[in-house]
Amino acid sequence: MSNLTEIKETIEKKHDELRPQFEKGGKFEKMYPLFEAQDTFMLTPPDTTKGLTHVRDAVDLKRVMFTVVVALLPCLMWGIFNAGHMYYHDSGMDDVGMFMKIIRGMMIVMPIIITSYAVGGFWEVLFAIVRKHEINEGFLVTGMLFPLTLPPTIPLWQVAVGISFGVVVGKEVFGGTGFNILNPALTARAYLFFAHAPYMTGNVWSKFKMDADTVVDGYTGATPLGMGAAWGNEAKDVVAELANQGHTFWTMFRGLEPGSIGETAAIPILLGAAILIVSGVGSWRIMAGGVAGLIGTAILMNLLPSGESLSAAGEPVIRTTWSQIPFTYHLVMGSFLFGIVFMATDPVSAASTNTGKWIYGVLIGVVTVLVRVTNPGFPEGVMLAILFMNVMAPIIDYYVVQGHIKKRNAHLRKFSYAKG
Amino acid sequence: MSAEITIKQGMDLPMEGAPGSQVRDVRPQGPISVYPSEYKKLKFKVLVAEGDKVKRGGAIARRKDLTDFLVRSPVAGTVKAIILGDRRSLKEIVIEPDGTDEQESFPSFAADQLVKAGRQDILDVVISSGLLACIHERPFDNMANPAHTPKSIFVNGMATAPFRPDAAVLLQGKEAEFQAGLNALTTLSDGPVHLNVSSDLKGSSTALTQAQNVQVNYFAGPHPSGNTSTHIHYLDPILPGDVVWTLRVSDVIRIGSLLTTGVFPNTQRILVTGEGVKSEARGYADVLTGTALSDIFQGVLEDGDQRVVRGDLLAGETVNPAEDGVYLYDQGFIAIPEDRERILLGWYAPTKDQFSAHKVVPSAWLKDKLFSFGTSTRGSKRAMVLTGIYDPYVALDILVDPLSRACIAGETEDAVAMGILESVPEDFALCTFICPSKTDFGTIIADALAAIEQEGI
Repeated sequence: MSNLTEIKETIEKKHDELRPQFEKGGKFEKMYPLFEAQDTFMLTPPDTTKGLTHVRDAVDLKRVMFTVVVALLPCLMWGIFNAGHMYYHDSGMDDVGMFMKIIRGMMIVMPIIITSYAVGGFWEVLFAIVRKHEINEGFLVTGMLFPLTLPPTIPLWQVAVGISFGVVVGKEVFGGTGFNILNPALTARAYLFFAHAPYMTGNVWSKFKMDADTVVDGYTGATPLGMGAAWGNEAKDVVAELANQGHTFWTMFRGLEPGSIGETAAIPILLGAAILIVSGVGSWRIMAGGVAGLIGTAILMNLLPSGESLSAAGEPVIRTTWSQIPFTYHLVMGSFLFGIVFMATDPVSAASTNTGKWIYGVLIGVVTVLVRVTNPGFPEGVMLAILFMNVMAPIIDYYVVQGHIKKRNAHLRKFSYAKG
Repeated sequence: MSAEITIKQGMDLPMEGAPGSQVRDVRPQGPISVYPSEYKKLKFKVLVAEGDKVKRGGAIARRKDLTDFLVRSPVAGTVKAIILGDRRSLKEIVIEPDGTDEQESFPSFAADQLVKAGRQDILDVVISSGLLACIHERPFDNMANPAHTPKSIFVNGMATAPFRPDAAVLLQGKEAEFQAGLNALTTLSDGPVHLNVSSDLKGSSTALTQAQNVQVNYFAGPHPSGNTSTHIHYLDPILPGDVVWTLRVSDVIRIGSLLTTGVFPNTQRILVTGEGVKSEARGYADVLTGTALSDIFQGVLEDGDQRVVRGDLLAGETVNPAEDGVYLYDQGFIAIPEDRERILLGWYAPTKDQFSAHKVVPSAWLKDKLFSFGTSTRGSKRAMVLTGIYDPYVALDILVDPLSRACIAGETEDAVAMGILESVPEDFALCTFICPSKTDFGTIIADALAAIEQEGI
């Protein structure tokens, strides 16, 4: 214990010595945000309350943000294992053992994470210095979220370009954290998706393979959605057809399959969701709304007429089409769970009112299924659904507030007798 | 007709330093001071000069905009100094008591006749005695404007914020004055007088629960169930153009005492407590209005750097216990330690000694534990990030995120539509308390209310 106190006192003394150099008139005045970040990371700030309220809660935004990073760790760990597993699996070396898979996975994934934090961090600090705002801990989340949405084979220069776009155009041009319209991590993702599609779609895992012949859908990395988009409204028994290709509900739930680093398996995502909900950091309203919207729309889509095709004997038979894919598949296919748990819940780009969060979540679920089932251009709709609803969030809030004002006024009118 | 309302929103802070209910007497050691500056936004003209003799209840200053309003001296004595503040505003008048009890006398009424007295007769006494300052007016929480007739009057007999004085202790021995004050209030409004008390008091504190001529309402639930705004919101909300008047138990006692005795009431019972006050001294004190705080806090504060707050910890102002004195409107002073302690990696350390309402902090899982609250901000100021977390802490039908944004953006019309006029800054104190970005909602709301008041609604 006394050791800790000593360390603390040494740090405090050192910081107090250095502080004047970073304050106004000091040699490194411009670097103050960097000093502040380091100072308040090591030690809680010595500030005392001003204004009318003299006491404060022990919570700090750093703790809130870091909780999101903690919630992402199960996904990261699974992503590392899965990348290693796929590497050896596709090379026909399934029996190398867990340890080797994890080591290989780390060799694949860690450079991506490090690049994201380093390059994104550079921009964050640069803007903090130029625009004289504090370095916001929100970047801890963006820097982790973004790589988890990328395929493990992404070139590092792509990671650097993507996170730069996300931080600068997605956030800093609007004034920094708290002012951005779109989720910065998803903005970065979308930028790479549209500007550098070949690295994100198609044969993303071929680098790992001895024989590169299976086409994997890049955005989700989950073949089922790619197949679905290719089938369109062709009449085949979709569930059976997927099973033929090796995709059942449980394989997709388990997530030992190609895909972006963080999103293939459901269990680590649900673990993250539990952390976010129990700690109150992520909005359960958005998550519940998203799942409800997805299930509802999927069931509606199931009601569309089935298709007809010829049996082997040449007889016409009724068969299900892609729109009849059950909602349970929609839940685990692609990156819906990851998106609704970690991306949609970004409080800055989501609706800010609690009623608005429900609407926002539901509509993300709705748009996701609509894109998946009715849009031939994109197999997966989660990213587009969330970005679209990010843009719509202020409008949702506007109508929620107007509705609230109406309700208030109606309530107040009941008391107006007192005015005589 | 009595209402019973249970509030679900809000939170009681599990704070160490709660007072006992003993009452001590504090005698002023030196001169006492009258502070016209306690009435913010108002301007005063001084009526005495240094060396003048004044009686207890004698006029020493008058309001410039309402010349019938006279500031009265609580004691008989000699004017020792007249101290001006910023822009030559009248800050403080120091009076050296001469030990006599020469009194100015005011018209008096029999307690049971007060209900039948004329509104203007009572108002005249209340205004000229300076006790109009005990009646506040919503919206904006200013001193009541006697030109307005309030649609109803709210008397707050509750204390849920840490630490406000317990109405039952304030009332000990003052039951008759309290009832007389309530009687007088009934003449001031065409609507009802609401006396709002805690549901816990049912069957006890008869001065409150059996009060006559008023409507007794019961409120249950955590803080802010005891805030006046909450009571108004549920019982008779403020519509545009409406005016209600608000008082606290101590205000009613004082007005009742003046109207029944005709003597200027110069003592008040205040609460002195908090973790910065030695545990044996945490309690109530009967003091002369204008007593120097140094007399009250002598030997009472714990060692170390203590912050003394006028009011309560969620909505109070910092005072200097060596220089300031007791205002007429005061009902308590709380001391807590100034906490500049820096904690190694405190932003993620599993703290269990600092209270939090957020489940991300381990201490939030501890039940029934009292915490020490210092003045530390417990974190650094950041942009507002989390949304929708504030509404469960406001008992008014207000969406905090959109309202605070409208206020910051200067959209006063939107803010009015969203219900800001129902509130005062203290209603958002718990939002300030729990904000992870350390946003000060009280100041945001106060600035917006000031702008609205200036522009006119």
